[in-house]
Amino acid sequence: MYHKTTGYRVFSIFNYAFMILAGLACFLPLLHLLAQSLSSKAAISGNMVSFWPVGFNVDAYVKTFNNSNFNGAMLTSIIRTVLGTTISMFILTCAGYALSKEFRGRNALMWFFIFTMLFSGGLIPSYILVTSLGLKDTIWALVLPGAFGAYNLILLVNFFKTIPKALEEAAFIDGASFFVILSKIYLPLSLPGIATVSLFIMVGHWNSWFDGILYMSDASRYPLASFLQTVVVQSNMQNMAMSQSEVAAMSEQSIKAAQIFVSTLPIILVYPFLQRYFVKGIVLGAVKE
Amino acid sequence: MKEGRNLWKMVSTVILSTILVAGCSSGESQTESAPTSVLKDGKYDPPFKITIAKQQDENAGKYINGESLNDNVLTRWGEENLGIKIETTLLGGDASQYNTKLRLALTGSEKLPDVLPVYDTMLVNDLIDSGRVKEITEDIAAYMPDRLREIYKQYPTTFNPVVRDGKVYGMAIAPNLTEGEVMLIRQDWLDRLKLKAPTTIEEFEQVIAAFTTEDPDGNGKQDTYGFTFSGKDSYNTGWVSDPVMIFSAYTGKHLPRQWVNDNGKLTYGSVAGGNREALAKLRDWYAKGYLNKELATQGAWDALSDFTEGKAGIIIGRPWLYDSVKDVEKNIEGAKINAYPTIQGVNGDKTYQSAQLNDGVFMFNKDFQNMEAFFLYYDKMYDAAFSTGEFKYGYAQGYDYDIVNDEVTFDPQKFNKPLEAIQSVGKMAFTKNTPSVDGPGKSYFDLANGVKADTGVLIQSDSKDQTTKDGYRISYENREALLPNEFNGPPTPTMQNVWEQLTTMEQETFTKIIYGNEPIEAFDTFVKQWHEKGGDQIIEEVNDWYTQTSETDVMALMKLK
Repeated sequence: MYHKTTGYRVFSIFNYAFMILAGLACFLPLLHLLAQSLSSKAAISGNMVSFWPVGFNVDAYVKTFNNSNFNGAMLTSIIRTVLGTTISMFILTCAGYALSKEFRGRNALMWFFIFTMLFSGGLIPSYILVTSLGLKDTIWALVLPGAFGAYNLILLVNFFKTIPKALEEAAFIDGASFFVILSKIYLPLSLPGIATVSLFIMVGHWNSWFDGILYMSDASRYPLASFLQTVVVQSNMQNMAMSQSEVAAMSEQSIKAAQIFVSTLPIILVYPFLQRYFVKGIVLGAVKE
Repeated sequence: MKEGRNLWKMVSTVILSTILVAGCSSGESQTESAPTSVLKDGKYDPPFKITIAKQQDENAGKYINGESLNDNVLTRWGEENLGIKIETTLLGGDASQYNTKLRLALTGSEKLPDVLPVYDTMLVNDLIDSGRVKEITEDIAAYMPDRLREIYKQYPTTFNPVVRDGKVYGMAIAPNLTEGEVMLIRQDWLDRLKLKAPTTIEEFEQVIAAFTTEDPDGNGKQDTYGFTFSGKDSYNTGWVSDPVMIFSAYTGKHLPRQWVNDNGKLTYGSVAGGNREALAKLRDWYAKGYLNKELATQGAWDALSDFTEGKAGIIIGRPWLYDSVKDVEKNIEGAKINAYPTIQGVNGDKTYQSAQLNDGVFMFNKDFQNMEAFFLYYDKMYDAAFSTGEFKYGYAQGYDYDIVNDEVTFDPQKFNKPLEAIQSVGKMAFTKNTPSVDGPGKSYFDLANGVKADTGVLIQSDSKDQTTKDGYRISYENREALLPNEFNGPPTPTMQNVWEQLTTMEQETFTKIIYGNEPIEAFDTFVKQWHEKGGDQIIEEVNDWYTQTSETDVMALMKLK
C-alpha cells in the first residue's frame, strides 16, 4: 500500500506540520489582538502583551460598546451588507438565469458585462456619476455602484449551466413559467453556488472602506470598515505634529484591538454556516458531464 | 455578424445615454439667493450657513453626549450666539483621502464648500489654477480683526504659498511657532551610573555608551542601549524620535530635508558638508550598539516603543512626548523620566531643529460672500488662546474644562461628570488644531518664573505633569533654535520630476552609511550626484520662487504692516 511507505510518511509529517503552521499564522494574530483588547494600556505600550492578557480588564469592550459612533457604524455596516447582498443576489440570479439560456445576442451581452470587468470608468467618473445621481450621503452610494459584478455573474451562469436542461423542459411541460422554474428548481439546486457568491459579496461589503469615506460627508454615516480605517490606520499621525498635548488623548491600543476584534466577529460567525457549500461552489465547472 | 451589429447598437445606446445623463446633471447647481443676513449686536439675523471641508483627525472624530460632526457643542454655540451655522459638507480621513476628495470636488460635480482648509502645497497651487478659489487680499485688508492682524503680521512667510502675481488666495491656519524638541532621559539610569545629563556631543557619547554597556537597569543583562530614533522616512521628522540634534551639532542651521536661508540664498540642508561627520559619528555609535538596531525600519511613532519598554535611555521629541512614553514609569519600578535641552554643537553654538509656523492654509470658495462672518467666527475661536471673552477658560464647560468647587480644572477625571479625556472642542469647527498663541511654551516659562496661574491658558498649562512642564519651559528658553522650513511653496517643476528619486537616494545613502554597508565616502558621491541629477536645477527654481514671493509687498496690500 502506498500510504505505508516511508516517502508517504515523510510527506504526511511535512504536510501536517505545514498545515499547522499555516493555521497558526492565521490564528495567532487574532489571539494577539484578543489579548491586547483585554490588557491594560501601560502593559501594551510597554510591549508586554503577546498571547495572554496582562493586567486583565474589559474596559476596552465597555468603551467600544458605549461609543455611539462605533455602534452606528456597526449598524450601517449590517444594513449595508444585508441590503447590498440582497440586491446583488436578486440582480445576479435574474441575469445569471437568463444568460444561462441560449438566445440571440447572448454572447454580445456577456461580452458587454465582461468588458466592465476589465475596464472600469475610474474614480473620477464614478464619483461624478454617484454625486450627480444624488446618491451621495445615502446608503445607496455604498450599495448600488457595486451591485452588479461580472465575475460573480460568470460564477452563477456557469453554475446554472450545470443543471440538466431536461429538468427545465419537464417543468415547462407541466406548465411552469420561467419565474417558477427559477425559484422552484434552479435556486434550490444551485444553493452551493448561491451561497458562495453571497459570501463573496457579503465579505466584500463588510470589508470595503474606501467608498464609505469617499461618499459620506458625515463620519456618523460611515460603515464600520471606514470607521476603523479612520481610527486605526490613520493614527500614524504624520500630521499631528502641531497638536501639542492633544496627542495624549489618542485612543488606546486596547480599544483599537477591541474594535477590530468585535468587527471581525460577525463575518467569522457567518463562515461556518456557509462553509459546507464552499467546496461544491468553488469547483463548479471543474467536472464535465 | 448579426451579433456584432447588436453589440454596436447596444454600445452606442449606452454611450449616448451616459452623455445624456452627464449633460443633464452637470449643469451648474443654482446658488440659493438667501435673504441677506444682517449683523445685529454681534449676531446674524436671519442665521446662515457656512459650509466647510474638514480633514478629520482621530481626535476630532470623538464626540461625547451623542454629538456629531454637524451637531455639537460648538456648532450649536455658533448658531445661538453668532447666527452662523457651520456645516461640514466635505469630509476626509487621512491626508491622502482628504486631498483626493478635494480634487474630486474640483471636477464640478458638486458645490465646493465655502471654507477649505488645505494641507498640501501642490493642491493649494492647483486650487489657485482652477480659478475656483477666492482672492482675499482686500477682504483681509477690510475685515480682519485687529488681534488676528497682530498675529499674521508676525508670520509674513506663511503667505508665501498662497500668493500668485501679487494676489493673495488664502491665509495660514492659526499661525504660531510650534514648541521645540527636548531630550527625554531616563533619570534613574543617570543616577544609578552617577552621570549627568549630556550637554555636548562628547558627553552625549559617554552617556549612551554607559547606557549600553554598564547595565543601567541593573538586571545583570546587556539588554539596553543609549539612543532611539527613527530613520524610516527621514532623518528629520521634526516632532518625535528625531536625530536632528546630532546632525545640527556639525552642520548648524543646515538641517536634513530642510531649506535654510544662507546669506539670502536658499540652500538644501542634506547636502551640507557637516553631515559627513554626523554620519560618521552615527555609524560609529551604530556599530557599537548605542543606537536602535532597527532604526531604518521604524517610523517616528514606532521608534519610541523601545523607550517605553525600558530598553532605550534617550529619546528626543516635543515636550508632550512625555505623555506617550511615561508608561515606562508605571511598568518598571523606579523608572523616572526627565526633560533636558538638546546638546550644543561642536563649535559651542546651539543645535537647531525644524519647527512649523502653521498647519495648512484656509482657502475660500469664489462664491463665498461672507468673509466678514468667517472672521467673526474665527476671531471668537481665538478667545480661548487669549483667555478672553466667552472662552476665557476653554470652549465648553464639561468638555475641555470644568468648574468644580469654584476652581477651574482641566483634569477630565475631576470633572463634575468625569470624562475619559478632554474633548478638543477647538477642533470641531474649521481647524485641525486648536488655535494657540502660546508659541513654544511661553505660559510654561512664565509659570516657572512664578507667574500666578490666573488665566485659562496658564491654569491649563499648570495642570500638566512636571516633566511636561519642564519640557515646555526648556523649549521656550531655546526658542531661537527653532527654524521653520524656508521653502513652503508648491513643488517646482523639476521637483515634481525628480524629488522623489533624490530623497530616496538621500535616505538610502544615509542609512547605508550608518549601518556600515557603505564607506563614509558614499556621502561625497551622494552630494555630487544630488547636484547633477536635478539638485542644481531645483536650487535655482526654489530661489526663483523665493525672490518672486517677495516681489510684491502683499503684506502692505493686506494692510498687515
